[in-house]
Amino acid sequence: MLAMRSIRHRPGRFLATLLCAFLGAAIIMTFNSMHDTAAQDGVDSTSSETLSTAAGVVGGYGTLLVFFAVASALTVNVRQRTAELTLLRCSGATPAQLKRMVVGEAVVVGLVGAVLAIGPAMLGGRALLEVFQDSGQVAGSVDHSFGPIALMTGIDITLLASAGAAFLAVRRATRGHEKRGGARRFLAYAALVAGAVSASSTFVFSATDAALMAPPAYGAILLSVGFALMAPRLLEGVLDRLRLSGASGWLAVRNLRERAGQPAGILMSLILFTAVATATLTMQAVESDAVEASGLTKSVDAKNLETLNFTVVGIIVVFVCVMLVNSLYAATSYRGREFGQQRLAGATPGQVLGAVGTETAILTVTGVLFGVLAALAGIVPFTVVRSDGVLPGAVYGIGAAVVAIGAAVTLGTSLVTARRVLRTPAVGAVAVAS
Amino acid sequence: MFRAGSRRTHDKGPAAEALRLVKVTKTYGSHDSAVTALDGVTLGLGRGTFTAVMGPSGSGKTTLLHCAAGLDRPDSGIVRVDGTELTGGGEAELTKFRRGRIGFVFQQYNLLETLTVAQNTVLPLKLAGQRVDRQRAKEVLASVGLGDRLGHRPDQLSGGQRQRVAIARALVTEPRVIFADEPTGALDTRSAREVLRLLQQAVRVHGRTLVMVTHDPVAASYADSVLFLADGRLAGRLDAPTPDAVAERLAHLGDNVAMGV
Repeated sequence: MLAMRSIRHRPGRFLATLLCAFLGAAIIMTFNSMHDTAAQDGVDSTSSETLSTAAGVVGGYGTLLVFFAVASALTVNVRQRTAELTLLRCSGATPAQLKRMVVGEAVVVGLVGAVLAIGPAMLGGRALLEVFQDSGQVAGSVDHSFGPIALMTGIDITLLASAGAAFLAVRRATRGHEKRGGARRFLAYAALVAGAVSASSTFVFSATDAALMAPPAYGAILLSVGFALMAPRLLEGVLDRLRLSGASGWLAVRNLRERAGQPAGILMSLILFTAVATATLTMQAVESDAVEASGLTKSVDAKNLETLNFTVVGIIVVFVCVMLVNSLYAATSYRGREFGQQRLAGATPGQVLGAVGTETAILTVTGVLFGVLAALAGIVPFTVVRSDGVLPGAVYGIGAAVVAIGAAVTLGTSLVTARRVLRTPAVGAVAVAS
Repeated sequence: MFRAGSRRTHDKGPAAEALRLVKVTKTYGSHDSAVTALDGVTLGLGRGTFTAVMGPSGSGKTTLLHCAAGLDRPDSGIVRVDGTELTGGGEAELTKFRRGRIGFVFQQYNLLETLTVAQNTVLPLKLAGQRVDRQRAKEVLASVGLGDRLGHRPDQLSGGQRQRVAIARALVTEPRVIFADEPTGALDTRSAREVLRLLQQAVRVHGRTLVMVTHDPVAASYADSVLFLADGRLAGRLDAPTPDAVAERLAHLGDNVAMGV
């Protein structure tokens, strides 16, 4: 009841959730339609294996990403609506009713997203099959099929992920703050140690081992997860060493220090994004160079791996961008009152923008720094074993591109949002957004 | 940009009249639904005076304060703060005009939650790019009774204490005029009395000029004089006000048509 009404009257608020559900469902359906295609009669075993591997790997990644992306979008959504939820609670809504409302909304939005994704997923599946056929990984005679597996898994996973993410988001919102510093620190250290072990175990393998890329890749990912979990402390460490002059810098450092929780979330996404994208793309480049240098042609397995690497990175980049834009937009647009207070205390709009820009720049530099660090921990061992060098030339170009995307997304979103927020006169901003 | 001279003239010494409004008009909305919030208001306030502005809801007292304080631009008329005329320009120019000339005390305090008491107090100086005299900030905070709360955050303070931080913040830049918008509106009577006494002190001891918008006759009685506003026009003036006299005048505000001041 409540769920439907609240969606109908404010569709804009669910845009981010819808986008995440739509993208997730499209990716899951696109890849799971490879299962359908492989299950057709008359598909040879090599083609069928390629298709199933692709579907299995990316489908799994996709499920995780949908869950995280929808969870992040919904957490932001629930945080924005604290006032509304409190009002409902005061007018007699029980916690269970609120939970049902938020979960109900998420399921409806998830369903809409999944249904919208069917068309694009059909086209995407066809295009993906063509890519496989062009590279010779799948026989040209195989026809694309969008069947029950794609449809069922796509809709089911999206709905389950939406409902689960909504459940967690609303539970966190109604329970208030709980400190679980101990478990988090343990996980962070565990991830760092496991990552270091995994990256250094690269040296055990020989240059031609098929699985050579796995240990450094996992090492880089685990290290970045460890850094991401430690994001609040890393940020604090950076702020302690930072000496900024000027009123904007002074405000920026103090804002980041006091609102440590929210910036840490953005920092986390940035670290993961930079590490995964840089490590995977650079290692793939090194691998391709090495194969080319040896004069051999790539095996079907190697080609599969390459396609998968690029696809996975592409998916992660898109999702992290959506998550970053959404959470930065929400975090910034809800600071209208704070900006108003700064302006009434004598800050020009330029100074407010300067403070926001400095905050975002500190976050970006910190995130990118630790992301690149984690990526290098995987890239260097891999390069040493696979080729003669230590640091491949490709890392500069790829790293620069990844950093540029990250910086453009974070700085762009927060500055554009802040500019829009600043359009409200200071007196109005202070009065309305209380 | 400013007709009557730059900051340099202003720094030489205060003008005789701290605030001057000439035929200030402000209209909100367009054609059919236009509301005239200020209808040709003309007034002058001498240096070191404490003036309360009173009137029923919608009489234009908040608009008057916003226009006089450079938070909003009037449609027509002249606003002169400390001898310098407020002219056109963007928000950045208005902000720079306000710095050093105008201080604010709001009903909702408007302190920044992320800054400590001491940091909030020196924020206007930091933003204006001036040297921060910590000793002076400490003295001002001590004078409002918060000498032992320098490291606290606004959410660790009571409403009255927060408003006293706001007063300290308004005093520290030594502005020509301090505007107070319902400064006691969110306070209990005891805290309200303390805040009003501090505002009075700012005028008597520090020689500031204070304009306070309020709907509370008791608060208004702390001022030297009260200006009444009705339908966007000045509707009378009362010197040496008592709460009863103010309430009496307020009750019959509709009866007497604009008398001018």
